[in-house]
Amino acid sequence: MTQLAAEIPPPAPPADISIRQRTQFLSSDLILRWVTAGSAVIVILMLSSLIFVLAQAALPSIKAFGFSFLVGSEWRPNSLPGDPMLDAKGHVVIEDGEVVTKMIPPAFGALPVIWGTAVSSILSLIVAVPLSLGAAIFLVRAASRVLIGPVSFLIEFLAAIPSIAYGLWGLFVLCPFLQAHVEPGLNGFFEHVPGLRWLSSTSGALTGRDMFAGGLVLGIMIIPIITAISRDVLRQVPRAQIEGTVALGATWWESCREMLTFSRSGLFGAIMLGMARAAGETMAITMVIGNNNQIKSSLFAPAQTMSSLLANEFAEASTEIHRAALVEVALVLLLMSLAFNVVARYLVVGKQSRSAAAH
Amino acid sequence: MSTANIQPVDPLGQSTGQSTFRSKWSRIKSGIMYCVCAGSTFFILSLLVLVIGYLISIGFSSINKAFFTMDPIPTGMANAPGGMRNALVGTAVLIFLASLIGIPIGMMTGVYLAEYDVGSRIATPVRFICDVLAGVPSIVVGILGYELLVRPLGSYNGWAGAVALAFIMVPIVARTTEEMLRLVPDSYRQASIALGANKAVTILKIVIPSGTASIVTGVMLAIARVAGETAPLLFTALGSRFSPITFDSSFPFMHATIDKPFPSLTAQIFSYASGADVDERRLAWAGILVLIGLIFFVNVSIRFATRSKRST
Repeated sequence: MTQLAAEIPPPAPPADISIRQRTQFLSSDLILRWVTAGSAVIVILMLSSLIFVLAQAALPSIKAFGFSFLVGSEWRPNSLPGDPMLDAKGHVVIEDGEVVTKMIPPAFGALPVIWGTAVSSILSLIVAVPLSLGAAIFLVRAASRVLIGPVSFLIEFLAAIPSIAYGLWGLFVLCPFLQAHVEPGLNGFFEHVPGLRWLSSTSGALTGRDMFAGGLVLGIMIIPIITAISRDVLRQVPRAQIEGTVALGATWWESCREMLTFSRSGLFGAIMLGMARAAGETMAITMVIGNNNQIKSSLFAPAQTMSSLLANEFAEASTEIHRAALVEVALVLLLMSLAFNVVARYLVVGKQSRSAAAH
Repeated sequence: MSTANIQPVDPLGQSTGQSTFRSKWSRIKSGIMYCVCAGSTFFILSLLVLVIGYLISIGFSSINKAFFTMDPIPTGMANAPGGMRNALVGTAVLIFLASLIGIPIGMMTGVYLAEYDVGSRIATPVRFICDVLAGVPSIVVGILGYELLVRPLGSYNGWAGAVALAFIMVPIVARTTEEMLRLVPDSYRQASIALGANKAVTILKIVIPSGTASIVTGVMLAIARVAGETAPLLFTALGSRFSPITFDSSFPFMHATIDKPFPSLTAQIFSYASGADVDERRLAWAGILVLIGLIFFVNVSIRFATRSKRST
């Protein structure tokens, strides 16, 4: 710098330099601003194109089935031969020596898969929520510093394990185990308890690949997620709140309960995020749920979720209407998960910023 | 605990009169609940360690040299089932292409959110959309890739797979970049501006370099995430038994066929796991081990990076 300064003989008029620099700086500043703003706009376009493209591709199915798509329970991609076709006189039409039949057009109703998604998600919450909340409380209120680090690391690592790994484990380890050791006993129990009969298997064949296995695997998968988020939510509870309860003579559990009450909306958000994850989960559930489009009250009947239906049929869909119907299922899944995420984010983030403001 | 439950406590710390039973019972209940919480923590940990331990041990017993050095060989031929070299190369190429698309968009969005937030009308919705996009089921992204890049082009192809993965990367990279840039102290920015640099120079020369280590961990997190994704590839890249990159003597000696069905580790694991061939199933287990190893490596290095950050 000093050398440079020495080499420049007379400085140019200062006003000139500042104008030149300012315009140059202004332009580089503007370029960066607009480039980064442009990529931010791309993010907005990503979401809108997701909704728009799916809605566009699902249009044939939306037009053909309308609202009945959501409540219909029959999913039949192929036309079926129906009753024999009758001519004007009421005689059976015969061509080339064969009876001509009316064809029943394919039918698409998404109720079984919506049911499958809902039930498997709820089952996964029944498995995951008590355990996750217990662990979150333990990590925030009881665990020693030595323990928190490794346990948090393990939980974050487990949340990152891909779903296909859980799927493989579920298919080759959990399902055979359930079939051999758990389901016969549980099924017998359900059959003999008067109020729970509807949960037992009606067909008698226990395959191990059913709604029960699906709910279990999903539950195991979302445990790390719910634990991690609710741990963060519980950490946001102001210290004064806890100390106040302890000062008033509350026991350990009573002050924990106060914490839970205080952050209930954030915890609810954490649970919803877990449920959204369970509902959108594809690979693991496809491998263990048995893939059968049916609505059965039994825990031990094979079922199908929206995502597993897509994974199973989309690549093989040959007719336009079949593909459109599958895209409509994807659209329903997308809108559902968007709604869940919006509400959950509001609950988690909203609570956090409010309690941060209270500090 | 509502106010109605609070019992009067005398200064010596003993509960008065009739609340003795209640306080004893609530202490017992507290002890029970403590055990329940501790128990659920250790149950979760042992369950998950059991799952992962099983996957790792069976993976180690299934993995061999052929896994890395051979392409798949159809059942019934010599040396079947071969290995998954093509899938490893395919996943690497897919991740490379997805990173090429997704990381710049994600990082620039993160810069915008962190540095140009003030007085901007789109920062808040963009931040919200990033959070929401991160929660979109990945199979839906696969269908978007199919409608946008497979149907118009007439064939399953690698580009569609890469774009679908990039779609998943963008929100993750954007949000981690933003969070990491916010950790850079404001005094750095003020010092830079006081020295006469403008905002663009400040961001490019001061803010981003001092946040690089943590941004890299965020990017690695995104890469680890998409490396394990299967669902978005099922309808985009599909999968293939052939190597995506071939070498020969003609210029440029290396040929990549990206406009055809494209192999990937996860899609191949899925097809092997759904099949009946026991040898191929062993390859699937070995593939899972490779994925878990990658994710473990990324998580450990992130932990290492953030810890050294905290101590400085």
